[in-house]
Amino acid sequence: MKRRTFLAGLAAVPVAGCGLSGTSSTSTGTTGQVTGEITFQTWSLKPKYTDYVNGVIDAFQKQHQGTSVKWVDQPADGYLAKVMADASAGSLPDVINVPPDLSFPLAKAGQLVDLDESLKEAKPEYLGNAWQAFEIPGKGGCYGFPWYLNTGPIFYNKALFSQAGLDPNKPPTNFRELEEQALKLAEKKIAILGQTPSIADFGLYGVKLFENDKFTFNEPKGVEFAESYKRMYDAGALIPEALTQNYTGAGAKFMAQQTALNPGSAYDLGKFKTDAPSLYANIGITTPITNTGSANMFLHGVSVPKSSKNQATALAFGRFVTNAENQVKFAKLASIFPSTSKGGDDPYFTTEDGTDEARVRVAAAKQLKTAVNYTPVQFSDQMREALLQQLADAMLGKKSPKQALDDAVTECNRLLK
Amino acid sequence: MTHRPYTPWLFLAPGLAVCLLFVLFPFLNMIVLAFTDASALGGGQFTGVDNFVRMVQDPKFWVAARNSGLYMVGVVPPLVLLPLLIAMLAQKIVPGIGIFRTAFFTPVIASTVVVGLIWTWLLDSRGLVNSMVEALGGSRIPFLTDSTLLLISSMVVTIWRGLGYYMVIYLAALANVPKDLHEAAMVDGAGPVRRFWSVTVPSLRPTMVLVAALSAVNGFRVFSEIYLLSGGSGGPGGASTTLVMLIQSVGRGLTGEVGYASALSVVLFVILLGLLLVTLKLNRREDQL
Repeated sequence: MKRRTFLAGLAAVPVAGCGLSGTSSTSTGTTGQVTGEITFQTWSLKPKYTDYVNGVIDAFQKQHQGTSVKWVDQPADGYLAKVMADASAGSLPDVINVPPDLSFPLAKAGQLVDLDESLKEAKPEYLGNAWQAFEIPGKGGCYGFPWYLNTGPIFYNKALFSQAGLDPNKPPTNFRELEEQALKLAEKKIAILGQTPSIADFGLYGVKLFENDKFTFNEPKGVEFAESYKRMYDAGALIPEALTQNYTGAGAKFMAQQTALNPGSAYDLGKFKTDAPSLYANIGITTPITNTGSANMFLHGVSVPKSSKNQATALAFGRFVTNAENQVKFAKLASIFPSTSKGGDDPYFTTEDGTDEARVRVAAAKQLKTAVNYTPVQFSDQMREALLQQLADAMLGKKSPKQALDDAVTECNRLLK
Repeated sequence: MTHRPYTPWLFLAPGLAVCLLFVLFPFLNMIVLAFTDASALGGGQFTGVDNFVRMVQDPKFWVAARNSGLYMVGVVPPLVLLPLLIAMLAQKIVPGIGIFRTAFFTPVIASTVVVGLIWTWLLDSRGLVNSMVEALGGSRIPFLTDSTLLLISSMVVTIWRGLGYYMVIYLAALANVPKDLHEAAMVDGAGPVRRFWSVTVPSLRPTMVLVAALSAVNGFRVFSEIYLLSGGSGGPGGASTTLVMLIQSVGRGLTGEVGYASALSVVLFVILLGLLLVTLKLNRREDQL
């Protein structure tokens, strides 16, 4: 149940672009004095977090006299296009906010500074699983300071569960229970889900996703998982739009009470309260559905391009933005979680105050300690589309689940090259 | 005053610079890229005609080309005829005609995204149209989740959006139809239907060819309508993807295959150029008749 972005309004519309004039970056050195001007690019943080980011910049400039940080915030729409244009022109900002799947192609093209090489001492400051998310599997190197994290609870509609004769206090906790309850809901013409499984769902099911530089989610466990979805789809447990929908579309269907269950984040709870009060009155909150015992994790980070003319300052700033103190402050503002090893110890993430928000927050913070970023960093947008399309064909009976997964894996492996 | 030979070029320079930078250079770059395996991050090796060979063997290309072709065939006849009929109604000077004209022109200026969202709400499995169908005792129609119906639904949106635009073109052309021709036909005893076929249509033939050409090109390179109605997916299994959607899907993002996307764009360009040449030839033949 992948969620690419988790701050308000973060949704990217990828745009195609061309350019034969790609530049190969050359490092200008990571050691040196922390001084001079750098540019910091964030992903859709204005205007909601303007004061916070300006505060961080002021504090950094105060701590490092002679530095000047220019903040550029790019709206979510076209963010990828902007990074792509800058990357192919060799003019990426000195510090950029990127999720792992965006840092991967840049790192693969040799455009990002390897933190394992240039700032190894920073590693213990972050959660191991978060640091790992910015590594290139099999090749080593870490290409981004982990920044904010999120993991979601599962939200479900208690009223719809009751209508189908299910215990509203016993939502599914694993995928076997999910199918059982989905089929019961379907008998009453209630759909449980608004989406076919994402690659992260395959991971949560316990499927081996990627091994020896190849995608492997067509292994027997993967086929078993796709077959389970096919049974649910045939019974009417998925809405028809599930075959074409992304996370946002599925969330809207859950808000409209057309589906009974949806993964979400702490941020969604506030949205239900204001935008769907009748759903909020019946909302159930539970732990993520997983066969592995680990929840899925989403994260953003900040990377320093090799093309930066002031790498020492850029690295110092990247580390400063993502230090425990700044991350905790940010997390308190934005329904997200710190990726630093000590950030999660703040009482804000460990103590409940009786409200639903605090309950979700504390549960999520606990989950994050063992959470895994199941989406392989190599899994590109084109691969996501290939999986969605193949699963749609399987659901419609145009091909068997095994054939669909075989075809999806073949396409993903071709795209890997 | 002395005439300096470079003076006209000075006036032309800004426009030419924009054309060279933003039209000609990207166009030539696209042609070069079509013969490489370039990625979004630049580079790329010359691969000869590999991209075109891959295209011929790529089932997605054929699905997309077929859908674009069907789309064109589906939207051109209604977009040539319906706006003409509406223009003839809108031409009449009667009280309130301004509201009528505005109503038909509003979809043209409305944001494509807003239009897409409105139609998605209308045609969704639990949308307004399906609620009405269910209330009348029917079962839900999968407008947006069946690949054929999704294509047809998108065509309806394209036609609905285009009515006002082409209506304006026809209104201008209708104003140029000589009144004395109509009067002469009336004197000869021709009724409204006969006058429509024997006076209006022949006078408007060049305009109709123009509308056909414009709507065919726009129909063949449709993107927004299908993209919005299918939530960006191109329908279940990508079965409703059109050529431009395929180009976007192949070339987008940092992992995009820009070389292959460029090759697809070259093919799209050749098809559209062919279409325009055929219409031009048809138009000339009409003129000679």
